[in-house]
Amino acid sequence: MNAPALLQVSAVSKRFGGLAALEDVSLSVGRGEIYGLIGPNGAGKTTLFNCMTGLYDLSAGHIHLEGVPLHGRKPHHIVEAGFARTFQNIRLFANMTALENVMVGRHPRTRAGVLGAVLRTPGARAEEAAIHNRARELMEYVGLKNKGRTLAGHLSYGDQRRLEIARALATEPRLLALDEPVAGMNPTERRQMSDLFLRLRAGGLTLLLIEHDVKLVMDLCDRVAVLDYGRKIAEGEPALVQRDPAVIAAYLGGDEA
Amino acid sequence: MLAVLLAALPFLIGAGLGNSWVRVLDFVLLYVLLALGLNIVVGYAGLLDLGYIAFYALGAYLYAWLASPHFGLHLPFWMVLPLGAALAGVFGVLLGAPTLRLRGDYLAIVTLGFGEIIRIFMNNLNAPFNLTNGPQGMNLIDPVSIGGVSLGKSLEVAGITLPSTYLYYYLFLAATLLVIVVAMRLQHSRVGRAWAALREDEIAAAAMGINTRNVKLLAFAMGATFGGLAGGLFAAFQGFISPESFTLWESILVLCMIVLGGMGNIPGVILGAVLLTVIPEALRYIGDLQRATLGQVVVDPADLRMLLFGVALVAMMLFRPAGLLPSRQRKREFSAQDGVAEQEQASLYDTKA
Repeated sequence: MNAPALLQVSAVSKRFGGLAALEDVSLSVGRGEIYGLIGPNGAGKTTLFNCMTGLYDLSAGHIHLEGVPLHGRKPHHIVEAGFARTFQNIRLFANMTALENVMVGRHPRTRAGVLGAVLRTPGARAEEAAIHNRARELMEYVGLKNKGRTLAGHLSYGDQRRLEIARALATEPRLLALDEPVAGMNPTERRQMSDLFLRLRAGGLTLLLIEHDVKLVMDLCDRVAVLDYGRKIAEGEPALVQRDPAVIAAYLGGDEA
Repeated sequence: MLAVLLAALPFLIGAGLGNSWVRVLDFVLLYVLLALGLNIVVGYAGLLDLGYIAFYALGAYLYAWLASPHFGLHLPFWMVLPLGAALAGVFGVLLGAPTLRLRGDYLAIVTLGFGEIIRIFMNNLNAPFNLTNGPQGMNLIDPVSIGGVSLGKSLEVAGITLPSTYLYYYLFLAATLLVIVVAMRLQHSRVGRAWAALREDEIAAAAMGINTRNVKLLAFAMGATFGGLAGGLFAAFQGFISPESFTLWESILVLCMIVLGGMGNIPGVILGAVLLTVIPEALRYIGDLQRATLGQVVVDPADLRMLLFGVALVAMMLFRPAGLLPSRQRKREFSAQDGVAEQEQASLYDTKA
């Protein structure tokens, strides 16, 4: 990891009243990495995601994507900077069709406004066609080829997870943050998903992954960081982190030996 | 076919039901305009607005200020109508800006307050400076005049006399068709999808790179613009406006049109506006009917109107919760056989670790 980091998180803290959800967390994700973020429930993993994507204001610290500061920016600025995410408890636009969900994801990369839409200018029409085509390509890419006309809320659970990824990909991210993307999936679906992640990485995308599935993390991630009670207690290659006494203590309880 | 029918409609209604019904037809079109405008805010963007009639009032009052003896101004309608729509649009943003963080019930209360504030201002701004002539309202507003032909007087064309209400019908029809096209194109565009995303899940919309603040303000502004346009047409048509025309009841009525017809669906919204304008007029005949058969009016048609209104809304909630003509998507959303599958899934993804 000698190349400059794609994502640099520096001494980030987040407090809710008296509760410190994140305490001085720093980490850096390199280009093309699959970086895992693990830890027991309530460790602050999703809080860190929400801080990075602008849903929460930081209490302290800085976040940079390729040197561009993300802290203090609105969620839509962060997406424009190239940082997309999915949600732990799936947040699709349930009453829009699957294809429309992905089309919404093209929003930050397109321009047409009210005038273009109302007058149907050639530019706006060409853009609309491009949005449509790109959305179909992405649906096919994640394996939802013939589900475009189904309402997102009516898709099966696994397909909803896939659709969320397609929608995030539509924003043309450089970094994609996935919050428990294989939770509740069976082994076959998990394998398909990890294949998808490897394909995405091969296409030049950097992945940040919150995951509980130890096997998936071990197989897939280049590096992992472990959070516990809002602090980073370990970072490094999965095999090494797995043997770290502090990590074992955090997961199994007991005193740190 | 439809074009011929729409063109012949005032003659058919005038011949069949009398010319007073052509006037009702004009009001139907005004309410269609209002309902389509409110549909952008409520149906597309999911922002519950109970003060929508304020924008109608602003459009109407601006028309009266710029084209009546009140200030001695008599600007032509093609200048005044866009100005009224623009003024309403600006006020839409002014209403939207402080309410950006509010949703649902809270937004409804604030917008309700806004609607009342505008009406009360119109009611009281006759002193110290007489801006609105207070509760007496403003009179002698210029009719729309196109190429020197005033729509306020009947017109003789090729031996056929077209009364003023017929002429306004064609003007309102043109405005309605324009607004329908605008609303449809907006719905199926990048902007319309952003509104739908906002309605479905504001946080996910923001995480998809949508500037939720701008998109909300745009929805308020677009809806208000249509309301302002309808208001200007109303002022020109009536020749007289007063704060009484812009009460909370009117806001609720327009909202009911949308809910009854099918929120978010243009044909549904139009149907709702037609029904809720025509039915109360038709009920007036019940009074005549009672006088003819019973010799006196036992049940006041106005009371009956409210009663039927309530019954209609309750029946709708029970039998057609998505509206009479729901959009393709809302129909699926409310459809029963999918409910089970959806519940099963809800238990999966609603759990929060």
